This record gives sequence, structure tokens and C-alpha cells, in this order.
Amino acid sequence: MEKLTCALLVDDDQTNNYLNKLLLSRLQVTDKLLVALNGQEALALVEEHCRDASPSCPALILLDVKMPVMNGFEFLEAYAQLTLPRKHAIIIVMLTTSLHPQDMERVQKLQVDGFLSKPLTKEKVEGILETYFNRHL
Amino acid sequence: MAEPEMTVAALLREKEELLLRLQEAEDLISAVRTGAVDALAIQGADGPRIFTLEGADQGYRTLIEQMNEGAMLLSQEGMILYGNAALAELLQQGLEDIIGTNFAAFVPADFQPSWQAIWAKGWSIGKSKGELPLRTLAGQLLPLSLSANVLQFNGGLVLACILTDLSAHHEIKAIRALVAEQNIEISRQQQALKIQEAAQQRVEQAAAEVSRLLEGIPQIAWTANSEGVSTYFNRRWFDYTGRTADQLEQAWWRDYQHPADRDAAAARWQQSLETGHVFEAEFRLLDHTGTYRWMLNRALPSYNERGELMQWIGTCTDIHEQKMTQVRIDQAQKQLQENNAQLQRANIDLDNFIYTASHDLKAPISNIEGLLHALLEELPSADDSSPSAQPVAALLTMMQDSVDRFKRTLDHLTEVTKLQKEYAAPTAWLPLSATIQDVCLDLAPLIQELGVQLEVEITDCPAVLFSEKNLRSVVYNLLSNALKYRAPDRVPHVRIWCQTTDDFLILSVQDNGLGLNLATHQHKLFAMFERFHTHVEGSGIGLYMVKKIMENAGGRIEVQSEVGVGSLFSAYFRRQYI
Repeated sequence: MEKLTCALLVDDDQTNNYLNKLLLSRLQVTDKLLVALNGQEALALVEEHCRDASPSCPALILLDVKMPVMNGFEFLEAYAQLTLPRKHAIIIVMLTTSLHPQDMERVQKLQVDGFLSKPLTKEKVEGILETYFNRHL
Repeated sequence: MAEPEMTVAALLREKEELLLRLQEAEDLISAVRTGAVDALAIQGADGPRIFTLEGADQGYRTLIEQMNEGAMLLSQEGMILYGNAALAELLQQGLEDIIGTNFAAFVPADFQPSWQAIWAKGWSIGKSKGELPLRTLAGQLLPLSLSANVLQFNGGLVLACILTDLSAHHEIKAIRALVAEQNIEISRQQQALKIQEAAQQRVEQAAAEVSRLLEGIPQIAWTANSEGVSTYFNRRWFDYTGRTADQLEQAWWRDYQHPADRDAAAARWQQSLETGHVFEAEFRLLDHTGTYRWMLNRALPSYNERGELMQWIGTCTDIHEQKMTQVRIDQAQKQLQENNAQLQRANIDLDNFIYTASHDLKAPISNIEGLLHALLEELPSADDSSPSAQPVAALLTMMQDSVDRFKRTLDHLTEVTKLQKEYAAPTAWLPLSATIQDVCLDLAPLIQELGVQLEVEITDCPAVLFSEKNLRSVVYNLLSNALKYRAPDRVPHVRIWCQTTDDFLILSVQDNGLGLNLATHQHKLFAMFERFHTHVEGSGIGLYMVKKIMENAGGRIEVQSEVGVGSLFSAYFRRQYI
């Protein structure tokens, strides 16, 4: 399978990041993996790597909801304001535990490609690749 | 002849003679009029004619002279032979100008025929009557009634006439009519006065009666007139205010009312005065000790038989104690509402807490699970049967069990929070029997496996207005519990039936299972995560959910149980009528 050039994990939970990194590297999904501990860090990384369609611009962003400083919703709102060259090519999938009905409404209003419940598993990763990148492990 | 030789002396002599005769004539007339002579000789063409007043003495003549009617004697030629003073007055001329003239000269031309008729009739049958006007010297017409009689006068016949002034008669008639009219008016007024007096008397009697009654009642009582001016207070008023009866002043309400209440009360009073509607106001009234007490003031208008508002009769009832009690109740109620609101907030907080806790616990537990799996990958393969690997594998299995139980608990918690959110879940009219049959069908394999004797008597269970999911949950929990907590030494016997009361539909599920000691466990039976038996699978959430569902829907759950005999659970569904 042709690997993705780059993926971005956004989660304040270091253990979860460790486990997801482990899973993605074992499944050989991506060449490069960026990690951000909150929305603000993620936004900085996106602005830095995607300004001129470089290979280090993440093709997939896995976004947690509850985070300090800037949470997932706030990230999506800020991201919507950005003007990036190949923005449509960036896939954002939200990863979360259970959603409060209130949050559910909010998610539907924001532009997000997918929505998955934690934890991330091999099957879920396969699903993402098939759905958004037409690739198979 | 001597004529041409008539001398001045002769002419003087003739004049002397004529003057003498005139004098004689005047004297004669005067004598006749005053009755000084009884007879009169008038020199006519064929010798002197003697006129006497036959049978008339001086008294009669005086009477005739004195009377108000005009009187006259007419000769057969129509000449006035005699007239009294009243006649002269009527015709407004001296008698000397009247006597000797023809009466017809005084009758206006238009009435000559009338006069002729009276005249002719008088002479022909001896008497006649009629009305006609005469013309006075000044030209006025004078209405007269004339009655004529033929009399024997000195051997000849004369027509004696009496003339009555009809204008006076008319006037009298008019005056009489006026008097009569005034009399009627006076008697009418007298009648009205009498009625008024009677009415006044009745009013006074009524007022006296009202006062007498009002003195007898235990409340303050008062009356006011239709303008709203106080007219009476009973003894209670003076006892209450400490005023004496002679200090009755008009501004009484305002003086004793609490400043915060008086305007509203006055406005209501004004409104009642304008509309005639019952007056009712509550206000604090100052008593003689200087304390304000709550009063209920009510007044009804009193009407007379003509529907006129006569007076207002009012009472002032001391409602201080009730009012104070009401205030305390209101305060307690307010406190209760506040507590309730606080409880609701606490409930919401608790829901949010459960949600957040279960949510926040999910992440670390799934991390632990993930780490556990990562660890498994790192360890030698599971089929490694080396002695050192065995205890590690067992430990890892136990860790996985713990993780699973942790996750299950979190799921149940999530269920509970969902239940809270479904407080206002959509409801429908559901036949209870259908739900029971569905649940029995779901549990059929277990029922068959255990050989349960199931008795279902639900043919006459009415429909209930309930959330479908919740109804199923209640029935499922009760029935599966009955199976779950069976006694191992008996054939399980489960009975399901319905009862109805006015307020509730009661679904009962009875088993012959293990039973519970309610004396020690009742309060924990429906609590979250409480379990009394460890030998069977259970989360400790089922009965908690059932209780919550029933209570949220205005019902309840009851239990009867005996250890070693069995349990009876009854779900009370509040009945609603379409």
C-alpha cells in the first residue's frame, strides 16, 4: 500500500498518542507522523507545513475533542478561517469517547469529514483509508 | 195769530215753563227710582197715563236697585221704561240716557234677530230666555244672559227683563276651574307627601332594624349612603379603634388603614360606588393599641322596592390570623419551591457529573486496555507454555476482566444518564399485554430451559400512556429478575397479572424464588449498583432503572418478599384518561 505522506495526531492524552502512534506505525500507514497536544499546537503545525503544499502537510488529521488551551471544536472553527492551497485534500476525522447530545449538534455544524469513537483500532484505521484515500492495507 | 207777534217775553216765558217741566220730570224719575212715589202720571197725546209699581213697596225697589243683575221694564214699543243702577253700570251710561230709549239700540246688528226672537217669544208666551251681547257706549260687547217676563203694569203690559253679566259668570267659571285644578294638584301633593312620609318611615324602620341587627354581630359593621358617606358604625368599631361615638368623622377609613393598603382599598370602594358591585378589600386596620391587624372588608348595596340603591351595609372581619398563616404557608411554599429548584439543579449537576465522569473515565480505561494489548504483543506468544509465562498470562487475563467490568459499569452509568434525559420521552397508548407477550417471547429460550411454569393473566390489562422503550424495560427487568433469582431447589413458578384502581394500573410479577429480607434490604433494593446475590450475572442497575422510570412517569414500584418463599413486585402505572 502506498503510505500517506503525513498524518497529524491531535490529543492531549500522551498515552493515547503513544498507543495510536504504535498502531499507525505497525500498520505502516504514513511516512511522517506529527503530534500536537492541543488545538493551538495543531493549528500552528498546519499553518507551518501546509502553506505551500509540501509533503509534510498532513493528509489526515485525527482530532480529539476535549483538550486544554484549544479544544477540537475551537480548532475546527479556527481551521475553517484558514486559506490553504490544497485544503480540500486534508481529511479531518474526529476521535472521541461518547458525545454529549449538545456536542453532537455542534459537530454537525462544523466541517469535519468523519467521526469515530475511541479507541482507535486496526479496523477503524482500515475504514478511514478505504473511505477517504481508497487504499487498502 | 199771536205767533208772529211772539215776543221775547213770550219766548222767555216758554223757556221758563220748559225748564220747570224738565225739573219736574227729573224729580219724578228720582222719586220713582228711590221709591218716593208709587205712581207716575205721564202726559201722553191722549191724556196723562198713570204708571204705578203695582204691589211693590220701597223695600223691593231697594232690593232691585241693590242687586248685581241689570233689571229693566220694556214697553210694548221696546222703550226702556225703567232700569236699575246695575243696568246703567253694565251699559256704562247714566240711567237718564238709557230710560226712554229703545232697548234694541243697544243690541249689535248681528244679534238683532236673536233679540227679535227673544222679544217675540216673550210677548207671545209670556216668558223667554236667551243670551246676547250688548254694545256699551265705549263700543265693547258685553255678553249677557237675558230673561224676560211679561208683567201687568198699571193696567198695561210690559216686558220685565233681568240681565246677567255673563263675562263675570265666565270669569267665575274660569276661576272655579282653576280652583278645582289647584285643588286636585293640592290633593295630589298631599297624597305624594303621605307616600313619602310612609316611605321615609319605612326607610327609618329598615335602618333601625339594620342597626339593631348590626349591633348583634361579632364583626365590625357599618353602613354608608349611596354617595359612600359613612352613616353608621356598630359598637365593635368603637371598641376596636378606641374612638367614642361622638368622634365619628368622615375620613375614617384613611385614618386607620395601613398606608400601604389605603389607596388600593379606596380605589375599590370608589369602583363599587360607581358600579354598584359588591365591595371587597383586604387591608390592615389600626386598633386602639396601635397595632395593625388584617381585615376583610365587604359591603353589599341595599336597594328599595323601586330598585334604587339606598345604602351600603358592610362588615369588617378580622382575618389577621388566617393572613399570617397564609403568609407562613406562602413562605414555606416559596422555601419549598427554592428547595425544589435547588434539588433540580443538584439533579442536573449529578447527571452532568455522571456523564462527565463516565466520559472522562472511558479514555484512561481504553488506554489501559490499549496498553494491555500492546503488552500482549510484546510478550512471548500466548501458547508459550513455559512456567514463567503461565502466571503472566493469568495476570493479564484478570486485568482484561477488570477492564471489561470497568467498561460495563461505565456503560450502565451512561444508560442511567440517558434515562434521565428521556424524562420527557415521547409516549403512546400501549397495550400492556402486547409488551408482556413480546418480553416472554424474548425470554422463551430461558423459560424453556428452566422449565418455568409461567402464568400470564393479562387479557384485561388496559392500555397505558407510556414510552415504549421504558415500558419494555420495566417488564423485561421484572420478568428476567423473577427468572434470575429463582430458588435452585424448586421448579420456578412465575405469575403475571394486572389490577386496576381509579388512579393506577398495577402490573404484578410474582415468583417463588429466593426472596429478600426486606427488613434489612428494602432501602437498598432500588438503589444504584446494589446487588444481593453474587451467584448470578447482574449489574445492580435494573431495579434502579425500573424505579426511576416508574417515578418519572408519576407511578411507583412496590415489593413484597419473604426469604425462601418468593417475591412480588408491583409496578403502579398512573392511569390517564383521554
